[in-house]
Amino acid sequence: MVHNNGAHGTAGATDDQTNTTSQDTTSPNSRPDTASTDSSLEGRAKTRRTSGARWIWAAVAVIVIAAVVLGLSIFSGRGGDQTTQGNASQSAGAADTVTVGLKLAPTNLDIRNTAGSAIDQILIGNVYEGLVARDENNNVVPSLAKSWDVSADGLTYTFHLNDGMTFSNGDTLDAHDVVWSINQLIKNQYHDAESVSMISSVAADGDDTVTITLKTANSNLLWVLTGRPGLVFDEDATYDAKTQAVGSGPFTVAKFVANDSITLKANPKYWGTHKAKTPTVVVRYIADDNAAVNALKSDDVQVLAPISENLAKPFADDDHYVVKAGDDTDKYVLAFNGACEKTADKRVRQAIRYAIDHEQIIASRGGADKALGGPIPSLDPGYEDLTSLYPHDVAKAKSLMAEAGYSESKPLTLTLTYANTYGTELGDQLRSQLKPIGIDLKVNVVEFSTWLQDVYTNKQYDISLVDHNESHDFYQWADPTYYYGYDNKDVQDLYAKAIAATSDKERDELLARAARTVSEDAPADWLFNYRVTTAWAKGVTGFPVNLNQTLLPLYDLAYRP
Amino acid sequence: MRFVIRRLLLFMAALFGISVCLFVALRILPGDVASVMAGLNSPPERVAALREQLGLNRPLVAQYCDWIAALCRGDFGTSILTGRSVGSLVAARASVTFPLIVMGLIVAMAVGIPLGCAAVLCRSRALRSAFHIMSIIGGSVPALWGGLLLILLFSRGSGLIGVFPSQGFAPDGWADSGRALASLVLPALAVGLIVAAGLMRYTRAALGDLASSGYVAMAMACGMTRTEAVLRVGLRLAVPQLVSVVGLTFAEMITGVMVIENLFALPGIGNGLVIDVGNRDLIAVQSELLMLAAFFLAVGFLVDVLHRLLDPRLQTSGDSAAQGG
Repeated sequence: MVHNNGAHGTAGATDDQTNTTSQDTTSPNSRPDTASTDSSLEGRAKTRRTSGARWIWAAVAVIVIAAVVLGLSIFSGRGGDQTTQGNASQSAGAADTVTVGLKLAPTNLDIRNTAGSAIDQILIGNVYEGLVARDENNNVVPSLAKSWDVSADGLTYTFHLNDGMTFSNGDTLDAHDVVWSINQLIKNQYHDAESVSMISSVAADGDDTVTITLKTANSNLLWVLTGRPGLVFDEDATYDAKTQAVGSGPFTVAKFVANDSITLKANPKYWGTHKAKTPTVVVRYIADDNAAVNALKSDDVQVLAPISENLAKPFADDDHYVVKAGDDTDKYVLAFNGACEKTADKRVRQAIRYAIDHEQIIASRGGADKALGGPIPSLDPGYEDLTSLYPHDVAKAKSLMAEAGYSESKPLTLTLTYANTYGTELGDQLRSQLKPIGIDLKVNVVEFSTWLQDVYTNKQYDISLVDHNESHDFYQWADPTYYYGYDNKDVQDLYAKAIAATSDKERDELLARAARTVSEDAPADWLFNYRVTTAWAKGVTGFPVNLNQTLLPLYDLAYRP
Repeated sequence: MRFVIRRLLLFMAALFGISVCLFVALRILPGDVASVMAGLNSPPERVAALREQLGLNRPLVAQYCDWIAALCRGDFGTSILTGRSVGSLVAARASVTFPLIVMGLIVAMAVGIPLGCAAVLCRSRALRSAFHIMSIIGGSVPALWGGLLLILLFSRGSGLIGVFPSQGFAPDGWADSGRALASLVLPALAVGLIVAAGLMRYTRAALGDLASSGYVAMAMACGMTRTEAVLRVGLRLAVPQLVSVVGLTFAEMITGVMVIENLFALPGIGNGLVIDVGNRDLIAVQSELLMLAAFFLAVGFLVDVLHRLLDPRLQTSGDSAAQGG
């Protein structure tokens, strides 16, 4: 503050004097009598410049040294951490904590009210358990029920439960909890309640038997019960379902940070055979693909699912990592709006299917995905390879478009609406592939919630693209009110018969016929069956590869570095 | 004093205006949280039931009044999706973003201001243009690219000199302060170096003007060397301007570091805001944005006050102007 005076032109004598004296000691020859011209001023300044530069260099040096010291101290601190961790894990053989990197985060843990496969992925089989479960090939296997009987007419299912089951809070789990859970689901119309609308009643017979009676036979029931509708909750537990969870699975939720991470700890009261092999599993959600890859490289996560196919190559070539692609039920559905006049002409729809080069799209994504010719993927009942129905054939596409009255010089304008989570490349590829056959594709990339509103709810679109990752979801093609707007009596009849079928073989045949009919009609194109690529550090065992974006049992996961 | 009161009144009025704009703008956005919660494959009845349950069907004026009334009680509302109070959500995110910004600013000031001074002081034309080019390059490097470069160079595991973690915040938060600090070093550098370039340009411009002004000439006439005059007189005169710039940069950085937060997977304010908007968690978004707006205004207000305190000339003339007007 002292120097204020100088700035206001009322320089104090002290200032003046100190300056004069300091000048005297260094350059006694440059006296004020020469200070009237600029050039001499500058000349004088030049003689002092070295000291100014020295001052700056000193400051820079101090900053650099401080930064290095800080960096080193932090680094050594971290190094210390790592060695202690290493020692602990070596003595135990396997690591106490394994960190898994996933992509889509659940916004909350309320599995009964909030949609999103991220919730199923992390909670089903790990924290909550269902009456029955699915294995990695999408088949129904025992879980809380050790076995079940189905009556000949397919209307009565009797489940025999395991003994000595408990929830993580110590409460016992028996037939009454099962009955209560399913009745609550139906009464409160929780998420997915509509998929068990065929249930007429649920009753407990003693503590270890549950009987479910149906209104009509439904070959889908068991599979539906492997998902949310079959989950069993504790009637007596009170907890905030959005941030906590009380279930009977091998893990409990120790910490949940929305959109960031979930820490699972082995459930000490776990009753069954799927005891957790690793005491603590941390799941981190990393939205950015590059960030996720860096996390794997720097050992912040030991497993990454999914890893972007295009970024997986260096890991596949590296001995320290294992990279595998697993089967999944994700269908990238390019739907043509059934209510849209422009795509009402079947020739246009067929032309689009002929014009799309699926192999090229798959190759550009890294090559792990599978071509898919119809609505049913290989892990679902009724699958049949339908890729030969519409092979890549630009000439045929052009002639179909010409019949419909369009050409490259007189193109049909269509708008493709899809969510930004799928990237812009797919839209660009489709636009360039459809251009030569006379379709001017406008690509409209929107936020997912906008897509939900415009396309899914209001059905205002020409063409939509979305990843339908659900399994057993053929009913979408048998429901004319679904956003596809696809209305075909034959398909609806075939699907109704398939659902009423009492043998799996009969069901599968009927579904396959229905799927073929849908594909021939071309109400959509199935760009590919997305296969999830997973990468993990060598030493990681027991991480599921198939279906791991919806079903991720972690009890078997272990890491021996 | 009058100045402070007048500014406070303006502050309240601005905040009110912003709250109305925010509320309306967010209601215009397509999509709503009920359909996000219900997801694909849910019948329209379920979406309708959820809307009813969440109170999204009520008249907008009523919703707005509820929100403001709750705000006045200090209640920022509860996020529909996460079920946590918006206050605690923002606090958790701010505990990442604020340290990051402060560290970034320290880097920016430690690098930008000395370099800005050096650019004014050095006499050689070549060196001066070198400084100029440096500031242009620094200012035009996209944060994303700069961050990637830092990751390639210094990230533990994949970098050339693997020193710092580059992914995510410390799992235990600030309880593990060494790790928390380490995870912010690279992001802070990425932000700081870019802001430093801007700060360097401001410093150089402000100081450059002053260096050719009468103040410095006067100081030199009183016997200071040019370096001394610029650093002791010029820099002091430039301080109020620099404080304004640093203050506003600080406020801007809260959302400006979003890209960096995303790149380094840090659960900060900007990152969280994007996620909440994506989910149409409007109650959370509107409170978060209002808090940000209030913070912006508060920083602007503080900067104004500080500016007057630091510049005695402004104080006398400003007060007389206030009295006159």
